Amino acid sequence: MGKERSRALTNRNSKYIYLLALLPFLFLVVMYELLPLIMLVVDSFGIDKKPNIHFSLENYQKIFTTLSYKTAILNSLRITLTSTAVGIVIAFLGARAAYNSRGRFRSVFMTILNMTSNFAGVPLAFAYMILLGNAGVVRQIANVYGVEFIQNFDLYSRSGLTLMYIYFQIPLSTLLLIPAFNGIRTEWNEANMLLGGNSLHFWGKIGIPVLLPSIFSTLSVLFANALCAYATAYALLMNNFSLLPINISAQFVGDIRTKPKLGAALSVVMMVIMCIVILLNNYITKKTTKWEKR
Amino acid sequence: MKRTKIYANIVMTIVIVWLLIPLIATIIYSLFETWTGIVPQGFTLDAYKSIFTNGAFLTSMYQTLLVCVVPILITILVVLLALFAVTVYFPRLEKYVQILCMIPYTIQGVILSVSILSLYARGTSIFSGRMVMLFGAYCIIILPHIFNGIRNGMRAVNMNMLLEAAEMLGESKLKAFFKIIVPNILTGITVSSLLGVGLLFGDYVIIRNLSSSNVNNMQQFLYQSMKRSSTEASAVFVVIMLITFAITAVVLTLQSRSTLEKIRNERN
Repeated sequence: MGKERSRALTNRNSKYIYLLALLPFLFLVVMYELLPLIMLVVDSFGIDKKPNIHFSLENYQKIFTTLSYKTAILNSLRITLTSTAVGIVIAFLGARAAYNSRGRFRSVFMTILNMTSNFAGVPLAFAYMILLGNAGVVRQIANVYGVEFIQNFDLYSRSGLTLMYIYFQIPLSTLLLIPAFNGIRTEWNEANMLLGGNSLHFWGKIGIPVLLPSIFSTLSVLFANALCAYATAYALLMNNFSLLPINISAQFVGDIRTKPKLGAALSVVMMVIMCIVILLNNYITKKTTKWEKR
Repeated sequence: MKRTKIYANIVMTIVIVWLLIPLIATIIYSLFETWTGIVPQGFTLDAYKSIFTNGAFLTSMYQTLLVCVVPILITILVVLLALFAVTVYFPRLEKYVQILCMIPYTIQGVILSVSILSLYARGTSIFSGRMVMLFGAYCIIILPHIFNGIRNGMRAVNMNMLLEAAEMLGESKLKAFFKIIVPNILTGITVSSLLGVGLLFGDYVIIRNLSSSNVNNMQQFLYQSMKRSSTEASAVFVVIMLITFAITAVVLTLQSRSTLEKIRNERN
């Protein structure tokens, strides 16, 4: 009896030795993920010029009353929402096309999506400058043929940025939606046709409702992807365009005087926007997947 | 039925063309002296010759490799140990480990880099080293991918049964884990670490914010050469693109091979 118990004890002790294997992981996560984020939130309530004050809402007040910060938030939201909306529509059409065509062309399509899904940031901005910049190739061709809307298009503006953001949203969103289409069974379409429905009925009443949870989770990934994107906009416009990630970064590193506590508050605003989108997405997913549980 | 297929092919063609135009235009641009009319003129490889004889470019290539590979090796080791302890001895903790691994999905580069910078930059300890901060941030950024890859691999091989069998044969579980489980999930680990390489290779904001000015990756080199000469930058662009494509190609091949194996195993 006593022997058995001591054996059980050593077994349990030896089990806890394996907690040591968790230590490196905890160290990494605490030092480089949790602690920095917590300190960022704490910092956001401080004031840059007065190091003695530890709790004040001055930064937040400043953000929501100063025009340049408000512009940054609005610009970010506009570009993010537009590129997300366009991205999801193209992804839907693209994923449906991939679902309808099951041949070699489909695998070419998939390969190109995969290849271009890592293509964003500085290289993307550069490629668009070659195409549509002031001496861009497409612009010169447009000059020769007098295509006015391309001649008047300004890449170094919000619409230029939106165009580039749409570019990097397409491969990501299409790749995320394609697996969802595999859940649509051909029998459903057959049933729809037997009942006299056309393809509009099918997608409106069956296809899209079934896909809705995947569409919403894709939307939240796209939103995060566009909201946090930094390099694409910075490579094109440097600090000359007001965007949330660019403003945040400029408060910490840069030629102008840095304001890390204000930057921390801006980061918190960005994280709150992200959290709202994630919570909204979870809520909608719960609502739209109710039928699955029935 | 046939009409939907034709329509599908048209949609896919349009998307492919849209995605490839910027790439192809830049490749052509890098191969010619001038492109001021409709047709580019004067085929030349000078841009490539100039970047491959440029010491700064070669240094940035080597530094990119370094800052990609080291964090991935660290993260793989750390996650392997953590998941070993959690799945074998503390299954209740798995949920929390997973949550910690998924947080980086939502914070992404800008916020992560500025938060690490503001916490450590002013100190004098080892944590304030630029390289240490950069590696820390990179480990966190790839954490979700490495975690998913390793955990999915572990689930596929029925780890607990294999480890118990090894223990009965007189091997310790930790040794058995590294001798039996890790080699079995190597494809999964490779795929997820290549996804991580792709991610870190494309990073610009984290390295810009955290590293000192003498450590530059290829993205930064591209950014600097954009300011100097667009022909030189276009050659850098093509090299970056080829490396990205090579990484993706290896990932796709490994993935399709492992699904083929899975199908074959299920049939047997």
